[in-house]
Formats: sequence, structure tokens, C-alpha cells
Amino acid sequence: MGRTLASITQVFLQEQEAFSRFRRALRRSDQEAMDDLFIAARKHLSAAAYAAHALPFEVFLLAMLLEEHKEVIRLRKIIEEKQDE
Amino acid sequence: MSKYTGWLLDLYPAASTGIALWFLLENGARQRFMQPFAVTFHAFAPQPQLRMLWNYLQKQPIPVKLAYTQKTELFEDKPITVLSITAPDPYSQDKLFRRLSFKFPEITYYDADLHIALRHAALFGTFPLCRCEFTLDNNTGQIIQITSLDSPWNLQSIRPPLRIMQIEPDEDPRHSQPGALKISTEKDTHLLSLRYPRPLMLNLKALLQRYDPDLLLTAWGDRWLLPYLLELTENLNIRLPLNRDSECELSWRPERSYFSYGQVIHRDQQIHLAGRWHIDIHNAMLYHDYKMEGIYELSRVTSLPLQTTARVSPGSGISAMQMVTALRQDILVPWHKQQVEAPKTAWELLLSDQGGLVYQPVTGLHRHVAELDFISMYPSIMVHYNISPETIRGPVNLNERLAAPPDKPPGLIPQTLKPLLDKRMAIKHRLLTLQASDPGYESLKAKASAHKWLLVTCFGYLGYKNARFGRIEAHEAVTAYGREALLRAKEAAEDLGFSVLHLYVDGMWVQQENADKVSDYEALLREIASRTGLPISLEGIYNWIAFLPSRQDARIPVANRYFGAYQDSSLKVRGIELRRRDTPLWIAEKQQAILQQLARIKDPESEMMSNTLSKIKNDVRKSIAGLTMGHIAPEKLIITQKLSRTLEEYRSSSPAARAASQLAEIGKVLRPGQMVRFIYMLGSPGVQAWDLPQPIQLDKIDIDRYARLMLRAVNTILMPFTGEKFSLNINSGNPSVSFPICTTGGLPLLKLMKSNLISQKIAAPKNELNLLPAFYPENKDLQQV
Repeated sequence: MGRTLASITQVFLQEQEAFSRFRRALRRSDQEAMDDLFIAARKHLSAAAYAAHALPFEVFLLAMLLEEHKEVIRLRKIIEEKQDE
Repeated sequence: MSKYTGWLLDLYPAASTGIALWFLLENGARQRFMQPFAVTFHAFAPQPQLRMLWNYLQKQPIPVKLAYTQKTELFEDKPITVLSITAPDPYSQDKLFRRLSFKFPEITYYDADLHIALRHAALFGTFPLCRCEFTLDNNTGQIIQITSLDSPWNLQSIRPPLRIMQIEPDEDPRHSQPGALKISTEKDTHLLSLRYPRPLMLNLKALLQRYDPDLLLTAWGDRWLLPYLLELTENLNIRLPLNRDSECELSWRPERSYFSYGQVIHRDQQIHLAGRWHIDIHNAMLYHDYKMEGIYELSRVTSLPLQTTARVSPGSGISAMQMVTALRQDILVPWHKQQVEAPKTAWELLLSDQGGLVYQPVTGLHRHVAELDFISMYPSIMVHYNISPETIRGPVNLNERLAAPPDKPPGLIPQTLKPLLDKRMAIKHRLLTLQASDPGYESLKAKASAHKWLLVTCFGYLGYKNARFGRIEAHEAVTAYGREALLRAKEAAEDLGFSVLHLYVDGMWVQQENADKVSDYEALLREIASRTGLPISLEGIYNWIAFLPSRQDARIPVANRYFGAYQDSSLKVRGIELRRRDTPLWIAEKQQAILQQLARIKDPESEMMSNTLSKIKNDVRKSIAGLTMGHIAPEKLIITQKLSRTLEEYRSSSPAARAASQLAEIGKVLRPGQMVRFIYMLGSPGVQAWDLPQPIQLDKIDIDRYARLMLRAVNTILMPFTGEKFSLNINSGNPSVSFPICTTGGLPLLKLMKSNLISQKIAAPKNELNLLPAFYPENKDLQQV
């Protein structure tokens, strides 16, 4: 019993692990920002699994971008509200 | 010829005559009858080999009938020619087959190792406790004809009054040597001292003879009681009439540990009786869930004998049902499945090797949320889309199949599942009309629960490589349909203006401002049922629900850790401490009490909530103070963990391993899969196994550790409401307080069992939940129910 392919969480952790040398060489503040990006990707693991993409990291990058864009929209809204006041 | 009517109690092979059947006759008598029963099995191989086998069989002392026949093999396109071998009775068939499988291992055998009860069920429609009419031959006194007057799918059948004798020791024998046996029947209760073996045995013998029970319901009968009584039988030479059939010996099955779904499972040794049943409540699968009522129901629908049903996993039950379907349809049941997985391209593998859809929920506290569940989703998919090893031969093109479901006759799996699914739906409908106080309510609930377990496992068995009728492509097709259905449900919810907080395999949590009435969800349910073709129901509407983040990182959501309060103040709790076996009762009880207090509050932002929260914090302070003052019984601090390997295999010594090695030193060796119970203690080795003979020294209990565990459990609940961690200053080292004297083993352990706490849904006080609507797609068969 069990699955042949690694689960999406395993794949995600492997991809994250692959950047551990890169992360180590970053400044502490940059490391924290990078961790945020991976957590953003992690919020969309189920969609990434369903996508069954041959290159999962592309999906993770898109998921990071997605969360970034959501944040841009949120901030834009705040600024617009402030301007209206 | 003489005719009888009665209920079938037991059925097993009898030497030389065929099979023995025990009936409870209409006059109340329990009587054994014999029935001649020839058994046929089949061999498949190239022609010359079969000819060799034919010649060999003709020279054997066991007289067999031989014939070449055409049979259906589910994994082949056309019928195959097999050598059918008919032995005169089950004993000789078993003997013959063992010899053949050893001498001709390369031959493929079919129908070779089927349980005799399943063969009987396939031929005569019998099952345990079914009402039968049978005819005896006047010369031989043997059964020549038997007809079942009942059906396993009948909702109304009446069970005859059974004689049940319960035997339990006054102490958990794993913990300390019991001093007495309590023996109860519906007439009276006896207490027999274990200190005087001879009177014990004589009294027990008299009780067994006088009462002649149909069912011996024991506590630790398999592990301790029956082996102990048998030892006394030897020593004192007093034979106990444990078997009703005096010609049979007791049947022993050894204990074993095995690996399943990434977990080590330990099954205790088993002792089966002939002519009456022995069930050990501590060695019966899921007894805590559905009790005897569920076991009766499982053996009805699976046709397996009661003693077997009680001890096997629901997977074996589903397997048995499939075999009966196969036997009735003349489909060969392989002894060892020969089928291997068909090759796939990497792309096909990537697309198909997926499980159910599991989302990461939006963490935090939410209001205006409802939970919608597909009803028995995977079995419904198998029946509705006709998924079976013979109907799904390769990778499935979902879009094609959804557009035009193939018009094949229902396969083996849908045929097996459909009556079960229909019966479950009928019971659920019946439950809707009953009050919880109705006398039939509990029994129907136990039946529904037994069915649920069968239905849950039937999906796994489709993908299990050793399952006789498993096929991985069929298994994958089920999850593919499941993912599609859930995504369609998500789309329907979003189209109707709901936001989707969480999706979990067959359930979804949706939110809409002010959607607080059942009617607010009816359109959505109808829409989902029509888009997916599957039945869906409203599980409940929450006053509030909290989806929790990972314990390691509060920013990461996890799928199965949440708790919420329904509108009727009942709770749904998953993945938190009180659901975990390794949480001590003291903490689990507290967590549950806190949840119940919170469940009464409709609006989490109300003043009532902030008052309750400060009251809860005070209570926790008091509880921890009670712990430091030694007011908590050590029984409530027991940690229970499962041993995952043998002691030598542990690389680092976990608390459970250290406790198990303390037990091993006094000769109580635990096997992988067994539970070890211990208390955290100060100093080395940091634990004390609960089942050691010496009492726990109360002033050595690691109070800090328990206090920290308590705070963690409290914070799991409070954090979503307060957003901040609640902490106390816990001094390191135990405060110097005097401890009251308390001996271990004082509290009745049965009452302390956490299984009462960790029920599926905690204490729904009213019957409201059952009145929530369910929607069925345009499917005539389902609507008939």
C-alpha cells in the first residue's frame, strides 16, 4: 500500500531544502523574508497537488506571486481609502 | 422427513460428516445438526500440467470428483478453462489443498481458502442469527434442505432472545493480579474468588451448565481469562464446558503484530468456541464504537461467524462480502492475486497517483460557517459510476466518463456495495424520524456505525495489492471522481456567493454573512447534488469554528486540526489534545470542559465571552494549583502510547520505550503495536510504567511537565479567541507540599477510559442535527430508499 510518488508536502520540503545553501548566505532579515515566501507557497499546496505539474517549483513560484499580489491589492485598497478621506 | 424452523447460531466444519450447524429452535432449545457439504475449488495452468494434476488427484486416498469447466476470471476478458476439484467435505478439501499447493506451487488456485460460512451463505443465503427452515433426512438425521427466511438487508428482522453470560475480573490483569471474577447473566450476578481455584472451577462449571449461555462476553478473555482457566483445568483436572459442542477442542489463534497504513497493529491471541461464541470486549475491533449491536449487524451483512466478525478489521468484512457476491455469480476468487499494475507513463502516473483533495483551511476563528458533507462519498462514487476492477481496465479519462457514463452492467464492487449503501441510507432516514429516547434509536445508530466502517474500508481495499478484487486503476478512479466532485462543489458554492474556508476529502466548510438558517443552504445543497450526481447533506451550522495552525509554525495552516460549536451547542473537535490517546485524562477532561463552556456562547465578540474566558483562566489556575497540592489522582495522569517497534529497535530511548523496558525487567514484555501506560516522574529515568507492581510515589511525579502540558492544551483552545498566549509562572522543581496518601489502582479504570470523551461529536444534547436536510441527485435508486 502507499503511493509511488512523493506527496506534495514532501516535494515542497525538498524544494525548500534545495535552497538551504542560498538561504544560509543571506542576511538574517532577508532570510526571514524568504521564509515568508515559502510559507506563502505552502498555503496553496492542495492546488499544487491538483495541478500535477511536472515542474512543481514553477507552481510554488506562482503561489508566492499570488500571495504577493493579494498583499499588493490589500495595501492598494488601504491607500485608496486613505486618499478618499 | 421432518421440518424445523430456527435461528442459525454457529456453523463450522465437522470431521467426516460435512458441517455442524447450531440452531436456536422455536421451542428455545439449542441443538446441533449435521449437513453433508462437498467443497469445490479450481486449478488453472497449461493443459499438460492440469492433466498431471488430474492423474495425481485420482491416486489420492481422498475421493474427489474432477471436471474441466469454464469459469469467469474477473481480470480476464474471456472465461477460462479450469480443473474443478470437488472434495467430499471441508476438512478433506483443506487437507487436499494444502498438499496440492505444496506439491504444485506453480498452479493458480481459485476458491481454495474460502471460509466455510461464506460458501454456505453463497449457496443458501444464510448468515449468523438468520431465521431458517430446514428439513432432516429421517434415516441419517442430517439436513438435506435449508432455506433462509430472512435477508441481511431486512430492516425489520427480529433477533431471538440470546443467553449472554458476562465474565470480568475485578482488576485489569495487565496492571495487577485480579482477586475475583464477576459473572453476570440477566438473571443474577455471582462473585467468585480467584484465591480458591477448586471452588472457583466447580462453581463456574455449574454456572455454565445451568445457564448454558449462547455468548460468553468476557473482559480480557483472549489474553488472560480463558488461558488462566485452561491452566486450572489441567492442574485440577476439572473440565469446564466452555464449548457447547463437547466433541470439539477450543480453537486458538496466535497473537501477531503487523504493519498497516504506516502503523504497527497488534492483535492479541484469540480463543474461539464451538456451538457458542466467545467475545473479549478488549480484543474486539471497534467494540467501544458499536458494541454487540454493531457486531451482530456486521456478521449479518458479511456472513462471517460472530466470533470472527468481532475480531477482524472491517476490511476483512468487505472482502468477505465481495467473495459471497463472486461465489453467487460464479466468478473465481483467486487464492493469491496474480495481477500486477499495468505500466503507466510518467505523465499518467503524475496525474493519477493522487489522493483525496485536502485544502489548507483559512486559519483563525470564523462565524456564519456551515459544514456540508458528501454522504458515503467514495462508496457512492463506486456505485454511481460503476467502478470495479473489471469495469476500469486502465487510466481513466474522467471528462469522457463524466460526459457519458459507460453503459456496462454493474461490476462486482458496485453490486456488493449497493445493498449496503441502500440499507445505510434507509437507516439514516429512519433515524431522522426517531427521538433519541426511542428504544430502537441506539440499535439503529450502532448499525449505521458498523456500516460506516465497512464503507470506509471498501475504498482502501480497491487499492490494496493483496485484496483479491483490488485494482489500483479503479482505486485511482475513485479519488479522481472525488476530487472532481469536491471542486464542482467548491465552484457551486462560490457561484452562489459563499466563500470556501476549507475542503477535506468529502466535506466542505462554507461561509456567508448572516447565513445562519438551514434554509440559507438548501439551494447550495441542491446545486451541488445536481452538479456532482452524488448525495450531500448539511452536517450542521456553526456558531463559531476555529481552524488551527501548525504547532511548529503558527503561520502554516494544517488540514485536520479544528474545533467548532454547532448552533445546538454540540461540538466538533479534530486533531487537538483531547482527541489524542497520549493526552492524560486530567488534561483531556479540562480541555473538554473548557470547550463545553465556550460552546454555549453564540457570539465570540460578546461580553459573555470575555467573562467566560476570564473564568476559564481562573479555573485553569485552580486546576494547576490542585495538581501541585497532590489533589489529582495519578490514574488521571497516565500517558498511553503505542510501541512502534521492539525495545531493541529503539535508537533513542523515548519515554514509552523506557516505560516498556521497566515492564520487560519484571517479565511483562510488550510487543510492537501494544500500548504502554506510564507517568512522568522526576529524576532518572523520568517515567514509571503504570503496570509495575510498586505504587506511584506521589511526591516524585513531574508536576512541571504536567502543568506545561495542561497550559499547552488550554492555549490550543484559547488562542483563537484571545490571540495571545495564556501563561502561569511555573516554578521549576516541585513545591514542598505534603501529599495525601493515595494508593494506585483505586479508581475503576473502565470509568476512566477516554473513549467516552473522544466521541465523534461531543454530546449533541438534542436531536436537532439529524433534522438537517440531505439532498440526493437525480438518481432513482437512491431516491427509492
